[in-house]
Amino acid sequence: MISLRSVLWLCARYELVLAVRSRWLQMFAVVFAGLALAVASAGYILSGGHGVQDFSRTAVSLVQVVLLLVPLASLVFGGLALTPDRGAAELLYSQPVPRGAILIGRMLGVWLALAAAELIGFGIAGLVVQSQAGLDGLSRYGALVITAVVITGVFLAIAALLASLNPGRRTRVLAAALVVWFVTVVLFDVAVLGIASMLRSGSASRLLISATLINPVDAARTGALLAIEGTAAFGAASLALLRFTGGAAMAAAYVGLSLAAWMVLPLWLAARTLSRADI
Amino acid sequence: MVGPALLLVLGLLQSPDAGALPPGAGVEGRPAAEHTSPIQALVDRAHPGDRVVVPAGTYDGDLLIDRPMTLVGVGRPTLRGSGTGSVVRVRAAGVTIEGFDIDGGGKGDLGRDTSGIHVAAPRVTVRDCRIRQALFGIYLREADDALVENSTVTGIPGRDPGENGSGIHVWNSQRFRLIGNWVGGTRDGFYIQSSSHGLVRGNRAGDLRYGLHYMFSDDNVFEDNVFENGAAGAALMYSNRMTFRRNRFVHNRGFASVGLLLKACDDVVAEDNLIADNARGIFLEGSYRNHFRRNVVAMSDMALVIYDSSGANVFEGNAFTGNLAPLSLSGKRTDTRFDGNYWSDHGDPDLDGDGVSDRPYRLSNVFDHLRGNLTAADLFSRSAAAAAIGAAERAFPVLDPVPVVDARPLARPPVLDAVPAGSSPSLSRSVASTGPPLLLLLIGGGLLAAGGRSWVSAS
Repeated sequence: MISLRSVLWLCARYELVLAVRSRWLQMFAVVFAGLALAVASAGYILSGGHGVQDFSRTAVSLVQVVLLLVPLASLVFGGLALTPDRGAAELLYSQPVPRGAILIGRMLGVWLALAAAELIGFGIAGLVVQSQAGLDGLSRYGALVITAVVITGVFLAIAALLASLNPGRRTRVLAAALVVWFVTVVLFDVAVLGIASMLRSGSASRLLISATLINPVDAARTGALLAIEGTAAFGAASLALLRFTGGAAMAAAYVGLSLAAWMVLPLWLAARTLSRADI
Repeated sequence: MVGPALLLVLGLLQSPDAGALPPGAGVEGRPAAEHTSPIQALVDRAHPGDRVVVPAGTYDGDLLIDRPMTLVGVGRPTLRGSGTGSVVRVRAAGVTIEGFDIDGGGKGDLGRDTSGIHVAAPRVTVRDCRIRQALFGIYLREADDALVENSTVTGIPGRDPGENGSGIHVWNSQRFRLIGNWVGGTRDGFYIQSSSHGLVRGNRAGDLRYGLHYMFSDDNVFEDNVFENGAAGAALMYSNRMTFRRNRFVHNRGFASVGLLLKACDDVVAEDNLIADNARGIFLEGSYRNHFRRNVVAMSDMALVIYDSSGANVFEGNAFTGNLAPLSLSGKRTDTRFDGNYWSDHGDPDLDGDGVSDRPYRLSNVFDHLRGNLTAADLFSRSAAAAAIGAAERAFPVLDPVPVVDARPLARPPVLDAVPAGSSPSLSRSVASTGPPLLLLLIGGGLLAAGGRSWVSAS
């Protein structure tokens, strides 16, 4: 009987190999590095040379890029890679090991590949900032890198769920992935703001703050910006958030909990669905 | 007959100085014998115009200077106050005090203006003094033509700002000059009231309540000062015709903190200042005909707060960079004129290449409108949703927001060489090292290479 760990590792390596050879990943790496580079150099120019650009400012500008691009890439790439198809997946899932382990292993492989592409992008942008503004705010830049890697995992887990719900139907998985992306990145926030504008201010504040913690994109953005800029990130709203959660440590815990839940729950559902599916 | 009498009484009540006290009345005189500094004997022996040198050492007790003379500390002697009143009391015109460390002992009475150096005479100079543990640092009271230079004031540690006095307090002293001083840990850095035609240059006030607290004083000039880490950088009220050049109002980050606050101030000119990293950048209430030119307003939650009680204010050629929102307008309309400023959140292109964006910049959108009522909405201010709402509203206007526009927004940030650079350590350059970014590159590349290699070995 092959051990669970080596199943995970084998599947992860299998996906990593596939990913490295995939045009999708290569494209993502190039696009991500290009955008990060553009933001890093544009940020320096936009500051008007008044010394207000450093790693922290770049990290803040990159938060927007990361939270638009990384969920999309993770959903699309995860959907493509993890949808069980005829052939390889049939063979793989017929092996005498838990299907959940295979799924998690494959997801880990994709995660490693995407994270590697992101690290290269951050590294290139980092070199540009570093050459122009020095190393100040590096730890905050690190917070952004971690945010990107975590949010990759969250959306890969969601992609895994979408994939295992639609075995053999990649187009449907991709369509669903795009819907999920649009809802989490734009629609959810617009809806929340719309509802909040109709409520009284007390309940509206509670709704807005809860919403930022529930939606993984909002949770990641809020957490990253607060980590990078402190309470200056959202002005008085930061203080409202901290009072609502009961302090900075609790706010961090809520953000972490939300992201962890968004990673574990879809993955668990995906594994359950897959183990019952007829592939 | 009742009417005029009542008016007279009201007039007396309203007069800020009451006009009844003769100059110098109520100020501390000669300290009690047991609280007198040993230097008092030197002063009492001096003739008008003498230069008296005090050698290094620590001298306990308070000192009255009642004749025009120069008192010089050599080797930084320390004057340690008795704690029962001001340490040095200057009561004669033309006195110069130079080179002393003054310790207020952490005691004193706010109501009696207990100070490190208390000046109540014209043409006095204080130079190169360091004042610590005093309620007020240097107090200029009806001290025309005073000069305070290269001096340092630190407040009494462990107290709330409200329990301390001001660093340098200027009251009813015309043509004062404050140059190159450093104030921290006091209530206000520089408190200036009813004192006009002064010059404040090259000072630094930080870690206190208001860097500059200012009332009923006209025609003063502020150049090259730093006001940082306070509840407000500068709060000016009921005064006219001040000039601000090349000052830094930075890191004033409290809940309702402001970089530069003008309340009922008219005809102020502010040029080439850096107003950065404040909760609110510039605040205008009941103020008229103020000009803001070539300033950098950056990294604020709200760049401008304008009450509609203000009028005829002009913003020209400023750079508004990286602010969460440009304008909070209290009221229904404003005639504030914005012309040729740079707004970093204005994405419109400049297709004809004349340096001006092709469309006017609107200082409000639907999201700002929503935010106005809901603080927590700021949590979404930097989401894609906020950008989408803004773009949608520009394409399909549904609201009729207050029309505040910059008709000729600059397409590129202006080069403002006179504006001082940021001061905090995080804004300075540090030693170059490519290590950490390279590490990221190596990890990423290594992962990918590992994937590729295992393929090779597998095949």
